[in-house]
Amino acid sequence: MRASLFITCYNDTLYPETGRAVVRLLERLGVEVDFHPQQTCCGQMHANTGFRGEAFSQAKRFVRLYQETETVVIPSSSCVAMMRDQYPGLFEELGNEELRRQFAALLPRVYELSEFLIDRLGVEDVGAYFPHRVTYHASCHGVRALHLGERPYRLLAKVRGLALATLENVDRCCGFGGTFSVKNAEVSSAMLAVKLQDVIATGAEYCTALDNSCLMHLGGAMHRQYAGMKTIHLAEILASTEDAPAEATL
Amino acid sequence: MNYSHAELDPRKAHPFPKAVLPVLRNPQLRKNVAHAIDVIQTKRARLVAEKDDWQELRTAASAIRAHALENLGAYLEQFEERCTAAGGTVHWAADADEARRIILDLLRQEKASEVIKIKTMTSTEIQLNPFLEANGVSAFETDLAEIILQLGGEEPSHIVVPALHVNRSQVREIFARRMGLKNLSDDPKELTNAARTYLRQKFLAIPTAISGANFLIAETGSVAVVESEGNGRMCLTLPRTMITLAGIEKVLPRFQDLEVMLQLLARSATGERMNPYTSLWTGVTAGDGPQSFHVVLLDNERSSILAKAKQRQTLKCIRCAACMNACPVYRQTGGHAYGSVYPGPIGAILTPQLMQMKFAQSLPYASSLCGACYEVCPVKINIPDVLLELRAQVVNQERGRAARYFDPMYVGLRIANLLFSSARLFHAAQRLGRIGLGLFTRKDGWIHSLPSIGAKWTQTRDLRGLPDESFHEWWAKRGPQPDKEAK
Amino acid sequence: MNAPLQSRQQILERIRAATLDCAQDPAMRAEAYAALPRAYTRHGQLSAEARLKLMIERLREYDAEVVETTPEALPAAIAAQLAASGKHIFVAPYGTPAAWMVTAAWQITGFEWNIDHGLTTAEIEQAEGVVTAASCGISDSGTIVLHHSASEGRRVLTLLPDWHLIILRASQVVETLPEYFARFQQPSGLVTWISGPSATADIEMTRIKGVHGPRFLNVILVRDKS
Repeated sequence: MRASLFITCYNDTLYPETGRAVVRLLERLGVEVDFHPQQTCCGQMHANTGFRGEAFSQAKRFVRLYQETETVVIPSSSCVAMMRDQYPGLFEELGNEELRRQFAALLPRVYELSEFLIDRLGVEDVGAYFPHRVTYHASCHGVRALHLGERPYRLLAKVRGLALATLENVDRCCGFGGTFSVKNAEVSSAMLAVKLQDVIATGAEYCTALDNSCLMHLGGAMHRQYAGMKTIHLAEILASTEDAPAEATL
Repeated sequence: MNYSHAELDPRKAHPFPKAVLPVLRNPQLRKNVAHAIDVIQTKRARLVAEKDDWQELRTAASAIRAHALENLGAYLEQFEERCTAAGGTVHWAADADEARRIILDLLRQEKASEVIKIKTMTSTEIQLNPFLEANGVSAFETDLAEIILQLGGEEPSHIVVPALHVNRSQVREIFARRMGLKNLSDDPKELTNAARTYLRQKFLAIPTAISGANFLIAETGSVAVVESEGNGRMCLTLPRTMITLAGIEKVLPRFQDLEVMLQLLARSATGERMNPYTSLWTGVTAGDGPQSFHVVLLDNERSSILAKAKQRQTLKCIRCAACMNACPVYRQTGGHAYGSVYPGPIGAILTPQLMQMKFAQSLPYASSLCGACYEVCPVKINIPDVLLELRAQVVNQERGRAARYFDPMYVGLRIANLLFSSARLFHAAQRLGRIGLGLFTRKDGWIHSLPSIGAKWTQTRDLRGLPDESFHEWWAKRGPQPDKEAK
Repeated sequence: MNAPLQSRQQILERIRAATLDCAQDPAMRAEAYAALPRAYTRHGQLSAEARLKLMIERLREYDAEVVETTPEALPAAIAAQLAASGKHIFVAPYGTPAAWMVTAAWQITGFEWNIDHGLTTAEIEQAEGVVTAASCGISDSGTIVLHHSASEGRRVLTLLPDWHLIILRASQVVETLPEYFARFQQPSGLVTWISGPSATADIEMTRIKGVHGPRFLNVILVRDKS
């Protein structure tokens, strides 16, 4: 089984440890991991802010890079949502029939990480060990665009040593929203404050999710407020073992 | 209360990011909004859970509304024909100005100096009340919330519970002052009784009424009004003359279509299986109710929205407010910040479109795109999709302006696009970024303060400094070999 | 400003242009309408008895007083309700069945009866209570439907008095809202769907009953044969 990792622009730059964890995890599960060095961005930030023409270019680039790829794995539900929800419309609007067809053929081969593990590899127990109290935040794109449902919970349930604390209002938006966090920074912060109350109330050491975007926002506030809690991407929990604990815990 | 002078005119309202500031600093208001929302949401959730065919109802409602819009001309003509045959008179108003004049002319024909009104957002959209006042006609609102707002000089903050931002002692103060009731307590029951008595006199005395319409039925030429308090029944039964103002998009093909809409509307709007009173009437009925009935059909840009295939779904809306009850942004801001009679997620797409995208351009950005609205919308309006479409239009407007070069967001995104077009440029930018942001990175590896747009992030959040090595750099060193030590 | 017909023309023309891509001719439109997805529940699953029990339960949730009776005992049941109401001045529609009025209660001293042969609003405003028939009951939502026929009365009759007694036959009760529409394929020109006394939650979301319209709803459910 081969899988090509689309790391995403922000993980590449800001959260390389998530990428390292994905590689470690997949190789442990017997997957041969590939990485296309020319990759950059899926175009979500531009599309969501209204810069559609710019998003087109990035979408085209993505399809060209991956049209021959067997399987693409992406540790970011919002980027996968971008491709599933917006790429079809973009290519239709572009009027480029060849690209539209290539993308239509590629799309079924694109997986968010938890989808890849559960649906494609058919595993729930990935052999992980993470002896901490953890709460899980369900990112909006994962819940409503990808309908991930129980997948992340099934994976978390098999992590040895992990105590899962239930998050109240688990699928209420954290307030990140991409450029919303900056264009409407005050509302974003108000939503963050409210969300953080629920997160802190779990008494967990770590808040995890499938998107570092949400975690950057939540974790940034936790750090600012000396909240006594940290964020960690689910991939890093799943990659963590007794011999090789997650980098974040070291 | 900061809202007594809030203007719900999108032409004059502050942009959303500015309009929210006093709200976010008002704990009382935020508490009132959250409480109101929680009450409705809890009730709604219970009722939706007990309804096995909820999703099938949504599918049907969405399809019925879409079909009605696709054939709007034919159904409106059918409505007009049937309503006229039943003794009603149908008027067509191309815009707000014309609607106001038609209504005023009708009132003048009646020699009416007073009129009682059932709540209708459409009349606020066309700013009817101030126009009537300026022309010598007093318009008395009769919905409890609307009286609270009218007597208190306030603006609505929610389309179903418009006075949710006003608490009981504030209501007591308004009623005591405006109704001359010195010994009024703040008990909601007593306040409601005061309103009942105050309004009864008006219902029995004023022979002209104005209503909106929840639905127009093409098949029969009927109008349906959905309500809780009974003031609607009063206004559409007691007067001599009835004027109904309705947006052209309100039409349903057949009477039977109400079997879908009515099941969805009350559950979505107020968390009830059915609202207390729904009234349907057709033209004029001899001996029963108003003997003079007029419908004013309002376009006011709806036909423009209809013309845009991607945006047409906006008009499916049945004004249930489920979207704003589900919206995490609205929960923190309430409705006034949207500067429009239509707030919340539906307002964020409807208001700018009604303004021909010339105003309210900040509203499509008043969303984190979480999708909760789409999930609850009984007619399946894909609000996030329309938000994205409108954002693209706003940006395209900006592209034509020289000022765009002074907008850090615009410049930043244009540069980012260039960088994303080539791995070499992207990687070079990362290395530069590491150096640049390194200047702001503290010893603990975190950034506490940034300039320009960055400051918008760091006003409430830290940002972890850029790692020394990006993922692709790590991969380049490691290559595609499994690292045995890492196992 | 446009002349009236000009606006009509203009709006319809704008709509026509806006829907060029999708508007259909009458035949296609009828076909499209008939093909709209309606996979929602049309027919109820409850037995007749369970349906009636549900109707009563829902009505009582609204604080409506509900009593059951047989067709033979109906006049006496009405009399009992009237006597217990604490009201003395009543109105009734001109089409009220004479059979209902055959009881001493209807002639009790101290009771004033005004049958609506053209009562003025002021006269109706004096009334404390009203008795009417109904057209349908929908148990799913506890809704009573009035079509304002001769025995149900003009709309004002059931609006102004504070106490409303509704005579609902068991055979008139359906379970679901779609069943109501299936039963009344010829729509009535006037319909009032009543699901409890009026209410508001506008003050701090505190639900208060009885804003306008009758604050007291009494229902006699007559167990007739379907």
